Amino acid sequence: MSESTDATALDTDSDRAVLRTDGVTKRFGGLTAVDDVDVEVHEGEIVGLIGPNGAGKSTLFNCITGTLHADEGRVYLQGQDVTDWPEYKIARAGLGRMFQETRVFGNMSVRKNLLLAAQEGGADVGKLLRRPDDSLLERTNELLEYVDLGGLADTQAGRLSFGQQKLIEFSMALMAEPELLLMDEPAGGINPSMLENLIDYIRTANEDEEATIFLIEHNMDFVMEIADRIYVLAHGERIAAGTPEEIQNDQRVLDAYLGRE
Amino acid sequence: MSTNDSEERSGLLHTILPPNQVDRLFDVCSAHAWKLLLVGVVVGALPPLVGLEQGYLMTVVTEMYLFAILALSWDIIGGQTGYPSFGNMAFFGIGAYTTAILVKDFAVGFPTAMVVAGLVAVVFAIIIGVVVLRLRGHYFAIATLGVLLAAQQVSRNLDITGGASGKILFDVPEGTVFYYLFFGVLVAEVALVYYLSNTRFGFVLNAIRDDEEKATAMGFNTTYYKVVAWMLSALFTGLAGGAFSLFNTFLNPQTAYNGAWNVELIAMALMGGSGTVAGPVIGAFGLHTIIELVESWFVGWQLVVLGSAIIVTVISFPDGVVGTLREYASGMAYYERGGMAATDSDDAEVAADE
Repeated sequence: MSESTDATALDTDSDRAVLRTDGVTKRFGGLTAVDDVDVEVHEGEIVGLIGPNGAGKSTLFNCITGTLHADEGRVYLQGQDVTDWPEYKIARAGLGRMFQETRVFGNMSVRKNLLLAAQEGGADVGKLLRRPDDSLLERTNELLEYVDLGGLADTQAGRLSFGQQKLIEFSMALMAEPELLLMDEPAGGINPSMLENLIDYIRTANEDEEATIFLIEHNMDFVMEIADRIYVLAHGERIAAGTPEEIQNDQRVLDAYLGRE
Repeated sequence: MSTNDSEERSGLLHTILPPNQVDRLFDVCSAHAWKLLLVGVVVGALPPLVGLEQGYLMTVVTEMYLFAILALSWDIIGGQTGYPSFGNMAFFGIGAYTTAILVKDFAVGFPTAMVVAGLVAVVFAIIIGVVVLRLRGHYFAIATLGVLLAAQQVSRNLDITGGASGKILFDVPEGTVFYYLFFGVLVAEVALVYYLSNTRFGFVLNAIRDDEEKATAMGFNTTYYKVVAWMLSALFTGLAGGAFSLFNTFLNPQTAYNGAWNVELIAMALMGGSGTVAGPVIGAFGLHTIIELVESWFVGWQLVVLGSAIIVTVISFPDGVVGTLREYASGMAYYERGGMAATDSDDAEVAADE
């Protein structure tokens, strides 16, 4: 096995695991989309998840968020078994998610999108029935200024360009102050200059906001630069795990990407 | 849209009615919304005091309030939450039959009966909502229509509802009472919907409309919010129905569960601007006035007018009066407020075109 000693060392340290999956398996009819996958993401890490198209990356994400329920195996969020929880409850427990296709609430103003995203007060009806307070509005403004979209606070989110919507979705995720943020192809479809900004934003979120990040990415330069560790999926199986350098030199990974069995 | 003709026309429109003026109007309205509502209360309360006699005109105005309640109630679930209900009139019928039965057969006082009517509609909404709110789009629309038809059939079959011949009610309060009753309910509903539209509860409803899956992924139990919106819709529709049976002095399955009214109130919400607070009310006042005029001038053509009005609205002004104006006012906002910020060089091309 090419699994590195480094990764094994971290694996034993499961007290700090924000996310741990234990043998997660998901089948669609006769197809095993995710096959007995173990991953662990520790506090403060940025972990990448890569693999060829159809490797089961998004399905694994869906099993973690509760959009799909794993057929076998367990999912633990901060030590708590959340496998059978409904999706909204897992999100409340501190799991943020950014979608591959970028999803914002198009007919609502950018500001409302962010205000909604704040988890303050949770599902407490009393809080929901009050107008958003000043500290929440202030945080909204701060975040929008931070991603350079302050001027667009009152514009309908659906009018923004794709790249801007991506930043709005990112700000919404930060607004929620998640323990763990799952990002499905954050670098997909944005231009190179903005990619640099995005790397900064993700790093800052990771360092200053203490967000632990688990991301799917196809852009290899991006993921090699940003991730502390990387898991590789192919045909639903975890074929490798390790630091970016280890992954780059792993024969099984190269084979998987080149289509060799 | 690049023909000279349309450019000239829109240029003229921009000169007569500059978008930024409209925008300022919206700002003023939202800054002084409560004061505007207060003005509305005074204006609405005055007519009977300064000489509006009971009779045709008062009935028409009372009906306008009634339809405004129904359209705004529909909009809570249909416009704000994005679940187009074709069964809202079921709540209306249930409310109407509740007061009719309580007042006539059980000699309950009218005010008590009306409160019970609202509550019965809410309970019915919870039971039905848990089932039908799992559906979306067309399926939801058809399921709710089924609920309306089933409710109508039940009232036709039961003895207590008077079967197909319905119920005639005597000793009803005078017209002025209903004028203020419907007006009071409308004001309360406008105030509530406006208040909610500025809370995170209101944002959640809009989020469900825009992308329910995303709202779930953000930690909102959408079923819960949808049922609450549906209950609010049922409460006000049920109250309106509860008052209607006595206002109308007669109730049968056809008038209580009126499918044409259900279409009418959806048309009102759409024409005024669904998803807004003022829109459905403006739509109800406007369309009901038109229908009344057509009814008195071209008897029997009101449904044709209604149908045509809906077609024109949906094709030309899908956002309704308020929505279209808002769109007009903020058309350039994206560019004026830094839409071409350096974060996104893609927009440079758009900028060059403008």
